[in-house]
Amino acid sequence: MTDGSGADWTEDGSVDGADGKPSLTDQRDVEQVYQPAEDSKLLADAVVERVEGGERALDVGTGSGYVAARMREAGADAVGADLNPHACRQAAESGIPVVRADLTGAFRDGAFDVATFNPPYLPTESEQEWDDWMERALSGGEDGRAAIDPFLDDVARVLAPGGAAYLLVSSLTDPDAVRERARANGLTSEEVDSESHPFETLLVYRFVRRDE
Amino acid sequence: MKGDLLDIVCCPLDKHDLELDATEREDGEIVTGTLTCTECGEVYPIEDGIPNLLPPDMRDEAPA
Repeated sequence: MTDGSGADWTEDGSVDGADGKPSLTDQRDVEQVYQPAEDSKLLADAVVERVEGGERALDVGTGSGYVAARMREAGADAVGADLNPHACRQAAESGIPVVRADLTGAFRDGAFDVATFNPPYLPTESEQEWDDWMERALSGGEDGRAAIDPFLDDVARVLAPGGAAYLLVSSLTDPDAVRERARANGLTSEEVDSESHPFETLLVYRFVRRDE
Repeated sequence: MKGDLLDIVCCPLDKHDLELDATEREDGEIVTGTLTCTECGEVYPIEDGIPNLLPPDMRDEAPA
């Protein structure tokens, strides 16, 4: 995972301020919002290959809104959710319908055909975390799964019949433990993509309900 | 937010329906208002077009 300075993906330049100096509010948002990086792209590429036009999609932890925007380009009716108010504002400014929410908690049963999550996953000592919003976007707690586990515990609830969830994980996050948590929640997992980097391998898992 | 967002959101506490009270609209979208749970009565704010559906105990918890 990198800090991802490639914030030039919006057509209107609202993120990188290419057509002028960004406002202080925009600048503050960019500094406190995880910008799309290799992990975001790997997840988005895997999902847009499989999403169908008109499907309802939820991008959890949407951050800048990148994965949600890619799904919308692919024809899905995607919304974003994020805990971070700066992220919500930035995603909204790039045209993503956005809800400030904790993971999938504020969404109805069976509301989505697709759910995506590029979670904070870096294992972090407990005394170092939650200092600011960027730290929160990166840190996954001591085992790296502080946000992944509750996502897996609730995501099946918001999926419509035949729906699928896509999760980005790292080799640093114990992928076997991730799959086991999914299995305990009635989900079957399939690795749909992976990419090797110097210190980690990024993986995209696709989860579907075992009863389907 | 657009009104049709109500089709997919719910109260984060008990998953019941939310009732919209819009105080400011612009171009067909709700800019300011509230969403109230029809079951527990919890009120969630909509500000700058973004509904805040964090559970009340997380709403004020804000680094930086």
